Amino acid sequence: MLLELNNIFKWVNSGGQRIFLLKDINLQVEEGEFISIMGPSGSGKSTLLNVIGMLDGFDEGEYNFLDESVHTLKEKHRANLYKEYIGFVFQSYHLLDELTVQENLEMPLLYKKYKGAERKAMVADMLDRFNIVGKKDLFPAQLSGGQQQLVGVARALIASPKLILADEPTGNLNSQQSAEIMELFKKLNQEDGVTIIQVTHSEKNAAYGSRILKLLDGRKV
Amino acid sequence: MFKNNLKIALRNILKNKVFSLINIIGLSIGLSAAFVIGAIIYYDMTFDKFHSDSKRIYRITTAFLSPEGDFYNAGVTVPLAGALSDLNMPELETVAPFFTAYPLRVENKKLDFSFKNPEFVIYADDDYFRTLDYIWLAGTQKEALSAPNTVVLSEARAQIYFPDQELTSLIGKTLIYNDTIPALVTGIVANFTQRTDLVFEEFLSLKTADVQDMTSAVVDAHWHNTNSASQLFVKLTPNASKIEVQKVLDGISKEHEAKERVAIGRSNSFYMQPLSDLHFDSNYNTFDFDDQRASLLVLRNLGLVALFLLLLGCINFINLNTAQASQRAKEIGIRKTLGSSKKQLIFQFLGETLLLTMAAGALSLVLANGLLGIFSDYIPAGIDLSLYYDALPILGIVTLLLIVTLLSGFYPALILSGYKPISVLKNEGVKANQRAGLRKYLTVFQFSIAQIFIIATLLVGKQLHYIMKKDMGFKTDAIAYFYTPWSDPAPEKKERFIAKLEALPMITEVTLGGNPPASFSTHSMGVLFQQGDQEVNSDLQLIYGDADYFNIYGLQLLAGRLPLNDTIREYVVNQTYLKQLGIENPESIIGKTFKADDENHPIVGVMQDFHQRSLKTKIEPMAFTGDTNGSRRSQFRVVSFKLATEHSSQWPETIAQIESIWKGIYPASDFEHRFMDDTIERFYAQERKVSVLLRWATGLVILISCLGLLGLVMYTTQRRIKEIGIRKVVGASLLQLNMLLCKEFLMVVGVAFLIAIPIAWWGMYNWLQGFAFKTNMSWWVFVGSGLAMLVIALIIISIRTIAAARVNPVKSLRSE
Ligand SMILES: Nc1ncnc2c1ncn2[C@@H]1O[C@H](COP(=O)(O)OP(=O)(O)O)[C@@H](O)[C@H]1O
Ligand SMILES: [Mg+2]
Repeated sequence: MLLELNNIFKWVNSGGQRIFLLKDINLQVEEGEFISIMGPSGSGKSTLLNVIGMLDGFDEGEYNFLDESVHTLKEKHRANLYKEYIGFVFQSYHLLDELTVQENLEMPLLYKKYKGAERKAMVADMLDRFNIVGKKDLFPAQLSGGQQQLVGVARALIASPKLILADEPTGNLNSQQSAEIMELFKKLNQEDGVTIIQVTHSEKNAAYGSRILKLLDGRKV
Repeated sequence: MFKNNLKIALRNILKNKVFSLINIIGLSIGLSAAFVIGAIIYYDMTFDKFHSDSKRIYRITTAFLSPEGDFYNAGVTVPLAGALSDLNMPELETVAPFFTAYPLRVENKKLDFSFKNPEFVIYADDDYFRTLDYIWLAGTQKEALSAPNTVVLSEARAQIYFPDQELTSLIGKTLIYNDTIPALVTGIVANFTQRTDLVFEEFLSLKTADVQDMTSAVVDAHWHNTNSASQLFVKLTPNASKIEVQKVLDGISKEHEAKERVAIGRSNSFYMQPLSDLHFDSNYNTFDFDDQRASLLVLRNLGLVALFLLLLGCINFINLNTAQASQRAKEIGIRKTLGSSKKQLIFQFLGETLLLTMAAGALSLVLANGLLGIFSDYIPAGIDLSLYYDALPILGIVTLLLIVTLLSGFYPALILSGYKPISVLKNEGVKANQRAGLRKYLTVFQFSIAQIFIIATLLVGKQLHYIMKKDMGFKTDAIAYFYTPWSDPAPEKKERFIAKLEALPMITEVTLGGNPPASFSTHSMGVLFQQGDQEVNSDLQLIYGDADYFNIYGLQLLAGRLPLNDTIREYVVNQTYLKQLGIENPESIIGKTFKADDENHPIVGVMQDFHQRSLKTKIEPMAFTGDTNGSRRSQFRVVSFKLATEHSSQWPETIAQIESIWKGIYPASDFEHRFMDDTIERFYAQERKVSVLLRWATGLVILISCLGLLGLVMYTTQRRIKEIGIRKVVGASLLQLNMLLCKEFLMVVGVAFLIAIPIAWWGMYNWLQGFAFKTNMSWWVFVGSGLAMLVIALIIISIRTIAAARVNPVKSLRSE
């Protein structure tokens, strides 16, 4: 078991009222799964993904990740955990504008204390694998959306995480670019055994996954 | 990681060029001030630190305590040295008396060379060289000065007296002092290479003075006379207690105190001045009168100015960086999700700050060099940036840069690194107005300081104007004077000079007398006035002259007459003296006498008060008298003359004529004249320096604060560009928009003004207490400076706001 959510609740207080963002979420994810989360806008998909990614907290319930109980961990430990095992892919790519493609790819490695030569090799490998060697010295603004997202995925993968969390990774892409990214995910999942949880609005993209999770008003349906 | 962060930092700095520039300029102004002032402090702090045993060496000096105030003399009474040696105290390793001397001439007969007025000559004995370590280049320290008529020279001096000769060959050669005193060279010592106030070049044996004394200080040895020429250094034995020595000194001064002086509340005490204090202790002179010595107070004030400038630069940095924080929120969020810890981010941002600080540091080295040039009149000649080629100052610079980095970078780094990635990634954006409160406080602080500086500058200027323009009570216009040489008191020559001056067409009046009514030197005598059974002791200042002197300076006689002739001593006293005696009617004192040196002196007249010195001091009791000391010790050695006021363009010519007369009469001396107005200006040299420095500091403070303000305004208008567009679309005018944008900043300036007023008032009130005569602290100075600040701020703000308000709304609304 990779991770397990038990009776997760998350709420905010607004005007004396408790508004639930997540309500009694239960979820088990095995290694090697490819899960798609779907639901209307505002249903809590991103919130759930962020909770899984440990970027956001929750108010009630239990969360175990690789047999560590995340809800009892200190902030720093939690950061170490996601640093090591989780890669993020964002709808709006979130590349650093001031860094080139190559430097963007290198950054997660810097925070994981890889040696210089090692980093170079890993970055070169990724550039190769994603066919973007020719773009390595360009800045994000000089790339198309699809290319930027490619870099985003490459960056998420570079430190070989166990789990990839992707929040509407194709939201800003056209259908051809979307298909490319989805194929990539599928390949990663099937050939490298990377666990993937993605949020998507498209039935077509969701079909790439092995399991679909539907949310409505913060509840699983 | 480092390389990567460096890259990001550089790109960020370049991306925000204007903000980076504001930050760098602001910081570099503060840093360059700190460098210059640091150099001055370092220079002054490193005097006489190099002597072996310097911690054990003291100079004994004398403090005179009296009800009117304390006076200090760097010398001691001559018998003290003998008394101390006779005690053979175990605490004292050496007792080294020496006397400063001013020979008129030194001759090297062999070469037929003659040198006028050599400086830095002392009479000393072997104990001097036992107290202070010199390197002996020829001869040995042992008994070098035991015999009469021997001299030890410094290397530099030896090279002047005996050019191109082997130093060791000089031993046994002879120099003649003042035509009659022979001295055998017994040693050559190396000049000190490090900073020192012990600048002596020639050491004549003390025994020489016993026979032929050039100073008259050595033989003039009794307990009741203290001459600053008579110096005494001692070296304590290791571990000896300074307190024990002080006790003995106290005992000696008690034993020899004069009863008359004790009766009027006066006493003197010996003070042990550590060698390391020589350079700073403004109570006591050092030996090089041309040297501008630092006072700790001045250094402290300069330090404060540098500190303020630095602080203001740091504030700009904090303000601009927290204001811009939201622009970097995205980067922070991404970095955090990629695994950066808060600590790593803090270091990253501090690194960026360090980079900017170092850029500012490099720039400020250039600026500091410029500052040193601009202020060369205010700064001791030995100071330049090469002082920094040393471990300690470099360490100082590095520390300063690190402190500045922390001060300006830590808070923004903390704010930035504190952003939660989730809120950034959710695309909520960071609330732009976060920390606006803090920025307001900091800006208020900046402008309060700027405001205080403006008020201080105006008031100092006003006070200077007031005291320089205030009537001194005597005439100064077109009056100049010069001193006839000490060495040549012959009355015939003076008379001849006067006669020739009178013949010059541009000179309307000439007189021979003493010092001008206001001068730097004071003569005074203690006098006793008896009225019934009441006795009044006073210290009466003296000026010397005749009726011409009285006329040329326009002194006013209120009662009685002037002294009749030079053979009997008669005195004209001033009103302040009458006041001190409690006498109302000037007429009633005529014919009375006061007592000085057990002699009765008649008072024949009363003159109107005038200012005898700067307006910092009160008018003192004073008397005017003739020249009664005989020609050899005549007080009449100053020639005062008045030039024709309507022909001031021809004055330089007249002065040149006077100089050529001088050359004819006193060929051996140099001519030096001074205008009375310049003398009065010189009373306020210190204040004028303060005023100039203050103007500079104020300019810089305003510059830094306005740069910061400009940055904030730029940021705000940038952020509100859309709002401005919308308002414009619905019909707001340019003026309305400008007011809207200016309002919050003008509020800040207004609050700063309110804070500044009481502080400035209090500070200036205290400063003015240093003057006996004070200008008004007029309300208009405060209001005027407030308005000035407001106008400056308004201009700075409007540069941006008007530009922003003019932007075509279609443009600003289309973006996104
Ligand atoms: N910190 C918060 N405070 C209040 N409401 C929030 C907060 N975070 C999210 N929400 C609300 O919770 C709901 C779910 O948000 P989100 O998870 O982003 O939905 P989705 O990604 O499914 O569109 C939305 O209605 C959003 O407005
Ligand atoms: Mg969402």
